[in-house]
Amino acid sequence: MTKLILSTGNIISGGPSIVRKPGASNLELVNSLKVSFQDAQLDYADEIENLNANGTTKTTTTTTNGTSNGVHEATNGDSNTTDPVAGPLYWTAQDQKNNTIFVPRIDWETAALSEERSQYDITVKIFFLPTTTPDVSRRAQYTTEAMELVLKELGGIPDVDLLVVSFPGMSFDGDCEWEADKLNASQGDDESEIATWQAAVEELHRQGLVKRLGISEFGTEKLARFIKRVAIPPAVDQINLKNCCNVPPPLATLAKEQNVELLVHSDCTDILPEGTLRELLGPQGAGLLADPATGSGGLTGNLTPQWVIKYTAVVKNRGVIENKGYFAGAELN
Amino acid sequence: MGLLALGTALDWPDAKQQAHLVRAWGIKQLLEIWNKAKGKERDAMLWGDEIEYLVVNYSKDEPKVLLSLRQADILKALADSKTLKVTGDCAPGTEANADAGNVTLPVFHPEFGRFMLEATPGKPWGIDFKDLLTVEADMKLRRCIAKDHMLSNEHPITLTTFPRIGSPGVFTEPSYPVSGPKLRSQFVPDEIANPHIRFPTLAANIRSRRGRKVQVNVPVFRDENTPWPWKDPTVNYDLHNWPEDDDVRNGAAPDNFIHMDAMAFGMGSCCLQITFQAKNITEGRKMYDQLSPLGPILLALTAATPVYKGFIADTDVRWNQISRAVDDRTPEELGEKPLKNDRWRIPKSRYASNSTYISTDSRLRPEYMDPNLVIDPEIKQQLLDGGMDDRLATHFAHLFIRDPIVIFNEDLQELDLTKTDHFENIQSTNWQHMRFKPPPADNSIGWRVEFRPMEIQITDFENAAFSVFIVLITRAILSFDLNFYIPIVKVDENMETAHARNANLEKKFWFRKNPFPVRTTRRGGSASRSASGTSTPNSGSSRPATPPLGPVEDEYRLMSVNEVINGTAYAKATSKEVTEDAEEGEEFPGLIPLVESYLDSVNMDVATRCGLARYLDLIRKRASGELWTAAKWIREFIAKHPGYKKDSVVSEEITKDLVGAVIEIGEREKRGLGIDDLIGQVPDLEKLFGGFLKGKSPCGGGQAALEQKLKDDDAKVNGVKRKFNEEQ
Repeated sequence: MTKLILSTGNIISGGPSIVRKPGASNLELVNSLKVSFQDAQLDYADEIENLNANGTTKTTTTTTNGTSNGVHEATNGDSNTTDPVAGPLYWTAQDQKNNTIFVPRIDWETAALSEERSQYDITVKIFFLPTTTPDVSRRAQYTTEAMELVLKELGGIPDVDLLVVSFPGMSFDGDCEWEADKLNASQGDDESEIATWQAAVEELHRQGLVKRLGISEFGTEKLARFIKRVAIPPAVDQINLKNCCNVPPPLATLAKEQNVELLVHSDCTDILPEGTLRELLGPQGAGLLADPATGSGGLTGNLTPQWVIKYTAVVKNRGVIENKGYFAGAELN
Repeated sequence: MGLLALGTALDWPDAKQQAHLVRAWGIKQLLEIWNKAKGKERDAMLWGDEIEYLVVNYSKDEPKVLLSLRQADILKALADSKTLKVTGDCAPGTEANADAGNVTLPVFHPEFGRFMLEATPGKPWGIDFKDLLTVEADMKLRRCIAKDHMLSNEHPITLTTFPRIGSPGVFTEPSYPVSGPKLRSQFVPDEIANPHIRFPTLAANIRSRRGRKVQVNVPVFRDENTPWPWKDPTVNYDLHNWPEDDDVRNGAAPDNFIHMDAMAFGMGSCCLQITFQAKNITEGRKMYDQLSPLGPILLALTAATPVYKGFIADTDVRWNQISRAVDDRTPEELGEKPLKNDRWRIPKSRYASNSTYISTDSRLRPEYMDPNLVIDPEIKQQLLDGGMDDRLATHFAHLFIRDPIVIFNEDLQELDLTKTDHFENIQSTNWQHMRFKPPPADNSIGWRVEFRPMEIQITDFENAAFSVFIVLITRAILSFDLNFYIPIVKVDENMETAHARNANLEKKFWFRKNPFPVRTTRRGGSASRSASGTSTPNSGSSRPATPPLGPVEDEYRLMSVNEVINGTAYAKATSKEVTEDAEEGEEFPGLIPLVESYLDSVNMDVATRCGLARYLDLIRKRASGELWTAAKWIREFIAKHPGYKKDSVVSEEITKDLVGAVIEIGEREKRGLGIDDLIGQVPDLEKLFGGFLKGKSPCGGGQAALEQKLKDDDAKVNGVKRKFNEEQ
């Protein structure tokens, strides 16, 4: 089994991928990943050429045996450029000990905040995906792993201000917000959501890694049930309304009573479907995966997206977004 | 208007003798503050708005509406905040003021026109998003308090200009004879100006320096029955009180133009100005540059000035009239006579669109700079010697080509480096569409940028919408590192374009095609990014780290206001008057989608987002033509008035009904009643406002936010913030 860590880097000054499209969507993530892969391939392209010119390696693209060929070895996040480089994976990095490939390579040195932690309001949102089983211990592991990446990406900060959790199978859809609220009551899976919260999320709060907790797409009934059963109630509920002026009154009342802030968002819960990820990494995309037709190219195996985490750092008293990006975890079997 | 010092103001011949001294001392004061403040860091984002009102004398039973000249009395009543009455409509618990006990009371200021009033919030706004929704309530409170300190038949209104200022007959209360010694205008009395010595001196010295009266000529709108060629029937060619009365006999009033001859016709216009505090000088310089190309777009979008001196004009905005009303250039400076006594030809009035870009941004190409920029090389050298960088030194050396107009004898005793009065004398009489403001002498507040082109709107809802929009645009610019650079000459051209009747819908403006930053590569260089994000990576070919820049002309193209504001796709679907000519891959994202992308990336509660969505909706619809600008609405109001004879004349009766309608709208807005009952009585209101202003806002976000705001207020007030406002 190989783990893939996909990353966008800071997308805030990254051009058109940040322009919103109407409605809830995952276009920002998908486009940003695409751009991130392309940029890395362009940026590291000269490494291949230099090696070619020196004649130190063959640039065969037919290496298919596993993951080590043509992948940069990552040592403390630094790529070892003296290693022979070849193949379609030259723009990634590998942590062999943990059998993890970073797609693309991450230059941790350049990824920090320009001012000290206290200047920022940092929000992260973790998406548990429908492609994985609602296994609580695995979700706890995903959360820890994802949080570690974000804290490292933002320059080794000790904590974040708000962690929002998005569970699969939830939505706030419908032409009428009342109906959406009703429909929402039977969506998702209360038991696993509450168990996840207790095992994976509240713990981060207790450890001081997260100051406030939040959930996403909880309608009136689900929110009421949830609050009753958790030790640390959510401070935030993100909802995605067609017309944000039409909050269902029962939800507004409940939120006010329970001190839950109702925030707006426009993410969809199924943010990284398996097919989308396969396309992104496949022969028509970044070329990381082997071409099933020819058997040539890169990695092989079953690809399963496991989690996505989004992070945003806003300079508090200036309202300027300084850093925003995504990590995604996937498994290749 | 800046601080109103008292003293003995010098007449022009004497002031001219001292101009060099004022400039020299002004530069020393500038260097002092520059050295003190250049390293200032991390100032918070604070901002303030300024609303300007006309005060009119109106009652249903009187045949005429008049400009009230009681400014001094009204201001006196408003001046002392201890006795500032917050009663009646504005009292605690009323619609306009949920809890006056906690509100920081607004500040009222005099303006050039004696019929004008300016109001600013009692303290600056922050960037807490809930703050943004309290702006509208605060604007309403300001209007309410202003009204409460006036006579019952006096009303503060936010039309840019009074339709019949300068028309023959009585148009002020009280009325005075025209042709006074200061203005020497044949249309308006000296008493039209604020009697504070600064203002008549400003008007007189501009006239005197210029060597004749100012010439404010606006093309007249040609209607079916408008005689053609049209000769302004109000011009008196037989006046012989002052040498300047010869002006009209020497051709100052050409055919087909409405002729005006005094500063009051320009500086008597009301506008909506926004000032931002930047985190440091670098961010301030960047905001100055990036907001500059937006100026003409926002001018066209807020167009509200189709009438002058009782005639319908063929232009929609106030800008050029103000520019001409304060144009102090001599015939030599204007290029009408060979240079003999003056130092240079000057292509623009003191009131004009920007002539400089000042940012340290590496994306600022030399090609964008104004090739006709006039600077004072000696002053530039002094600034360079004082440690200022070339670009900023050039900016101030340009502003300092002007003479100070009003000089007080008392200020010339000795140079005081703990003040900035001489610097401000020049700086504050350079009325460009952006202003870059250094901190005050005590360095207590940060570097600021003022956005000045917008026209005042009839309602506070609209004024709040445009203010908040500009605030959000600055946040999007800084967050996404957007790039709106086009050559300054193109911004100038756009400013002219913005004047055309219905420019908002029918004209096109130069705008940058791709506002996104060029990405930096991991090797530290920059590389172009394909706009579509779908280019095929080519790992086999080498690229230079920094691709050579293409011709500047390829960076921009003509766009409608709709396309700039709403983006190419939306504009293509909605524009009726123009065809969008974006080519494949040249789609512009639109300022509103950029703002929405910004809003999507920050935490925002539903009520706040709802309130902001309402503002963005208004602007979206104004840009697409779904709703009308005030200029269009006023034109249609006149055209449909039974008293209108299709001859371009805006009679006293039409003026009264127009102003009456504006007062009615304002009254309803103040009381939170909505304007529904006026629809039908007042023509085309639904075209101006659509479904907005339907009484209570649908989500009540504003009110909820206001309550929250009031709770936070006390904690936030501090001296620094107050200071910021006084400085505006």
